[in-house]
Amino acid sequence: MELRKENKVLKGVLVTISFLFLGIFLILPLIYILVTAFRYGISEYINAVTDEYAVKAAMLTLEATLFAVVINTVFGIAAAWLITKYAFKGKKLLSTFIDLPVTVSPIIAGLIYVLTFGRQSFLYPILDSYGIQIIFAVPGIVLATIFVTFPFISRELIPVLTAQGSDEEEAAALMGAGTFHIFRKVTFPHIKWALLYGVVLCTARAMGEFGAVSVLSGHLRGKTNTLPLYIELLYQGYDFTGAFAASSILVVLAVVVLILRLVIEKKGKKELDLNK
Amino acid sequence: MAYVELHDINKHFKKFHASKDINISIEKGKLVALLGPSGSGKTTILRMIAGLENPDSGEIVIDGKVVNNIPGSERGIGFVFQSYALFRYMTVYDNIAFGLRVKKTPESEIKKRVEELLELIGCTGLEKRFPSQLSGGQRQRVAFARALAPNPQILLLDEPFAAIDAKVRMELRSWLRQMITKLNITSIFVTHDQDEAIEVADEIIVTNQGRVEQTGTPQELYKNPATPFVAQFIGQSTEVSNFDEFKCFEKEDVNQTAFIRPEFVSIFKKGESVQFEKSAEEAIVEDIIFRGSNLEIKTRIHGNLISAIRSINEPAVEIGEEIFVFIYRMYVVTNDDVSLLTNSSIAEEAIVI
Amino acid sequence: MKKRRSVIPGFGISLGITITILSLVVLIPLCSLVVFSAKLSFSEFVYTVTRPRVLSGYFVSISTAFIASLINVVMGLILAFVLVRYDFKGKRFIDGIIELPFALPTAVAGISLTHLTTTNGWVGSLFYNLFGIKIAYTRIGITIALIFIGIPFVVRSVQPVLEKIDIQYEEAAFILGADSKTTFFKVIFPEILPAIISGFTLAFARSIGEYGSVVFIAGNTPYETEIAPLLIMSELQEYDYSAATSIALVMLAIAVVILSVNAIVQSIVSRRVNGLA
Repeated sequence: MELRKENKVLKGVLVTISFLFLGIFLILPLIYILVTAFRYGISEYINAVTDEYAVKAAMLTLEATLFAVVINTVFGIAAAWLITKYAFKGKKLLSTFIDLPVTVSPIIAGLIYVLTFGRQSFLYPILDSYGIQIIFAVPGIVLATIFVTFPFISRELIPVLTAQGSDEEEAAALMGAGTFHIFRKVTFPHIKWALLYGVVLCTARAMGEFGAVSVLSGHLRGKTNTLPLYIELLYQGYDFTGAFAASSILVVLAVVVLILRLVIEKKGKKELDLNK
Repeated sequence: MAYVELHDINKHFKKFHASKDINISIEKGKLVALLGPSGSGKTTILRMIAGLENPDSGEIVIDGKVVNNIPGSERGIGFVFQSYALFRYMTVYDNIAFGLRVKKTPESEIKKRVEELLELIGCTGLEKRFPSQLSGGQRQRVAFARALAPNPQILLLDEPFAAIDAKVRMELRSWLRQMITKLNITSIFVTHDQDEAIEVADEIIVTNQGRVEQTGTPQELYKNPATPFVAQFIGQSTEVSNFDEFKCFEKEDVNQTAFIRPEFVSIFKKGESVQFEKSAEEAIVEDIIFRGSNLEIKTRIHGNLISAIRSINEPAVEIGEEIFVFIYRMYVVTNDDVSLLTNSSIAEEAIVI
Repeated sequence: MKKRRSVIPGFGISLGITITILSLVVLIPLCSLVVFSAKLSFSEFVYTVTRPRVLSGYFVSISTAFIASLINVVMGLILAFVLVRYDFKGKRFIDGIIELPFALPTAVAGISLTHLTTTNGWVGSLFYNLFGIKIAYTRIGITIALIFIGIPFVVRSVQPVLEKIDIQYEEAAFILGADSKTTFFKVIFPEILPAIISGFTLAFARSIGEYGSVVFIAGNTPYETEIAPLLIMSELQEYDYSAATSIALVMLAIAVVILSVNAIVQSIVSRRVNGLA
């Protein structure tokens, strides 16, 4: 039973402020992108998004995203398992290093890779002799994408594993089960929704990374341009319809991500309630 | 013959000394309780036997073999966790079958064994349920069956009744005792509840501050507490330092202190025939607590609030009433020794008779 | 004697994978930053980071980030409160859309916000014609972009804490005769203050380093709207790695200071709550 009457006026004011704020700051830009993209009609829009370079940029974005998701998933699972199931020295330091990439400016992230693999680095002649180019090339873009999304998956898994405790794993280990058996049968069912959520977040951020990729890309149309870089290029060339049309693809993906997030969160919560 | 032995075990958690020179010897087939207050190191001992923790020094011996470097899964033990640790994403059947599947037992044999265990624990028909769909008591039984499935030689239980309601707990206690007796499996369980240990166990190991205080049958601990800690921990004791002011009790040493349990005290209404009237104390009833099957009467004697048990069938006493209190005996602690001191009037009468 | 760490197997393999990937992605690049920095001459470093244009870049980045984060604290608090305490139509929509800045690529947000706020954009023309205020290509524009970027940080820090505050606290305060204003400022606010600080510092740290959404709307006029990350970018485009690294080191130091202040605040609070003070 509610003890107090809700303050109706206050509620009205606060809810209105919330809607106005989000409407202006978040919704309006989204609508604007879609409106501008279709400004000159559907055919013009289709021309823009099926442009050869647009498709190539989208493919490169997809490639970098795929690498980032796979590597960060492997890393995220291993790191979360390590941090939550064992006691060892240096755990805090490890956590700090894992979280470091998201606190660093994307431009600085790009910079440290330039310093690592650029011409002045001692690694450069070695890699060059094998014909491997990293910066201003696709590997640099992939690395930058991995870096900026590095803790996204481990960060989702660690709280879930901490809350779950280690009793079930200990019980399984006492009965003689091996690492992968325990992980697959006992641990994985607990983390599957959190993992999926982490993958969704990682995908979203990887697709959209601009700053770090911008530093490491050679900005070669059709070669080292990701979708966000391609958008920048069109925008600076005053091809606003093209820029916003390409943006609309990313907008749709972002909305899909948000919807997936809500769905996953709901599923995860339902299962959590079931297992209390 | 000792089946499980711990020799000079020490264990630290960072700076905390959790186990200090632990020496334990447990016979085959016995049901043993590790009893102590929280933080006394009892769970650490259990987890070391299971291989969930490793001692810093000392040897753990099971069936004549040193097992320090043998993983827990190869020590022939079953472990029932305090929170049961049932696999929440597996059915009851899969939970019980888990240990057997790890050992690559043929599926037909697994089926037979699981069904047998389900019958044993009285949970036939629940095999398709998930742990979340079971009651607390059922979860405990399933955890018990899961631990037993691979036919362990030793069963270890960590606070097996802590997570269950009071009423079900009583049922489960006697159920567990019957099961273990029937299976004749060496079992060790951890508890902080002395009633539970006394009722269920053949033998009790009392721990305190990382040390083993005393090992013995419940009767032995009750009758002959070896240390001051056991004297005050077992039973509901009141510490009395000025016991030489009591009639018929004398101090031999100024540092002595005593513990009096309610069972050592009788109270008599004025006018009731009193056997030892001259040696009884006069006191006023300060409080009466209804304990269900009997009454606990609190009286103040020489500044100490002493409890006595009185049957509900005896004539009622009231708060403020003047009564006689007779103390039969008390545990007297001299430094680290404990001895039983009997009311001297009883001793004299015994001589008279 | 071989010391086993835990009965749960897999320590070796998970440690191996973690350290290998961490080294390749984070540690080795970080080391190269340290090695390169060590080779910088101190006088050159000081000269680079004290050039008026660089100082102005730091000032623009920090001041706009600070103001944007303050606005986000107020708005984030309102949003979190509305989401936790009220039921209304469109609540789930609001809850979902708050994450948009995480999901939408920064460059896309950047060009859209820019176009909206130029003097002939939908919003910009309104402000220009009514108040004579220019948004795009000014520090106001930068602040707007940083508000967009930072809002989820505050909401997502405060929301879970607010959810956990037992309604009984408030009911207790109410029964003791406190009005809702007193209850909020004396009972709820102290509880969520650590979360507010944490949300503020996260948004602030992120905003100082933000590039994608800001670079379009800023206009990048030296001494006016040139942000520090852009300065690093231009040095890199001229292959002046020493200058780029020098500017970056100062920014890293600022980020470390901000995050440390937060860490200290949080540890003081948790010590107080847990009674270990």
